[in-house]
Amino acid sequence: MPIVIGFEGSANKIGIGIVRDGEVLSNPRRTYVTPPGQGFLPGDTARHHRSCVLTVLREALEEAGLKPQDIDAVAFTKGPGMGAPLVTVAIVARTVAQLWGKPLLGVNHCVGHIEMGRLVTGAKNPTVLYVSGGNTQVIAYSEHRYRIFGETIDIAVGNCLDRFARVLKISNDPSPGYNIEQMAKKGQKLVELPYTVKGMDVSFSGILSHIEDVAHRMLSAGQCTPEDLCFSLQETLFAMLVEITERAMAHTGSSEALIVGGVGCNERLQEMMGIMCRERGARLFATDERFCIDNGAMIAQAGWEMFRSGQVTALEDSWITQRYRTDEVEVTWRD
Amino acid sequence: MAVPGSGLAFELKIPFPSSTLAKIALGSLAPDPEPRKGGITKELNVTEDTLHVRWRAEEARILRVSISSFLEHLSLVVETMDLFGPPMA
Repeated sequence: MPIVIGFEGSANKIGIGIVRDGEVLSNPRRTYVTPPGQGFLPGDTARHHRSCVLTVLREALEEAGLKPQDIDAVAFTKGPGMGAPLVTVAIVARTVAQLWGKPLLGVNHCVGHIEMGRLVTGAKNPTVLYVSGGNTQVIAYSEHRYRIFGETIDIAVGNCLDRFARVLKISNDPSPGYNIEQMAKKGQKLVELPYTVKGMDVSFSGILSHIEDVAHRMLSAGQCTPEDLCFSLQETLFAMLVEITERAMAHTGSSEALIVGGVGCNERLQEMMGIMCRERGARLFATDERFCIDNGAMIAQAGWEMFRSGQVTALEDSWITQRYRTDEVEVTWRD
Repeated sequence: MAVPGSGLAFELKIPFPSSTLAKIALGSLAPDPEPRKGGITKELNVTEDTLHVRWRAEEARILRVSISSFLEHLSLVVETMDLFGPPMA
């Protein structure tokens, strides 16, 4: 019964979770929240993680009721993500792994999301939509790889939402996407925006420039409300995501769809994806904010799968990497 | 590996309570290469209970950034050792 501790800090969340054979024993997390109108920068984010990583580690052990000697392996996010925050968290993972004499496991962040989604929902072989502030990919498993069927060709969908929130000075607490979702519920009018699906891929930067350009003009002319803009942006972006997910499901013949990543806890996205799945006779799997949003348990869970299949990461190979594609990982734990 | 035409060098010797802890610090701090492609090199090694770090760089600015980031990482390693050590046999 291996017990794995997982360290995550690739973006503005620092989380440490402990998993034992599919059971999440603890999963504390802190979020670096910036003032309205501001994004999070690597140096500031690393300082945030530095200031609370050891407290979060203590909490993870205490909540799980475990001592360091009970841990069998130490997993950490190797990439992709922001360099400075990744290094900060990796350094603590390497230090405790050596102090405790446990093997290290360098985990691909995207694979962490997929494995956590599979664990929590019980989806067996889903077509995965991975949507967050840094990533937008449609993924399906085949022959020991999570293969990317479609992805963004510029910015991530969550980045598009976050940057739109900055234009309207929407609060980043608890997250810009959550606040956009609440405002969108009060939207009455659909403002037409560019719709940019390109084959299996999507593009969001042109939509962002367009809405940045028209937002203040339309608002000051009284042509729409901020709530209308939130609603219109969500409807447009999510329709694009549903379209490419459906096309991937048609390719793979899959009858399961799984949404993971921070944007995946948006209930309107889940609703739209649910309608598409129902029409195809497929099942939708999604998780709530505890496991959709970056957390330590997802890194522990992917690490647990790696460890169980015999993988470990040597200390000298434990360097972090800002770029690390989902399909670079050999999935040794699935048939 | 010397950087061609480099004029700047910096050296740190950090004593630890034991050679085990010095080696752990080396293991935690050595894996990540310098973020920039050229203009700076950093070598780390351990002799007995001391961690040695040697920098060579072309520009003072690059050298300063690398040293200050190293010191932050070092203090994180030491704090982690204090809170989650001592090393298990």
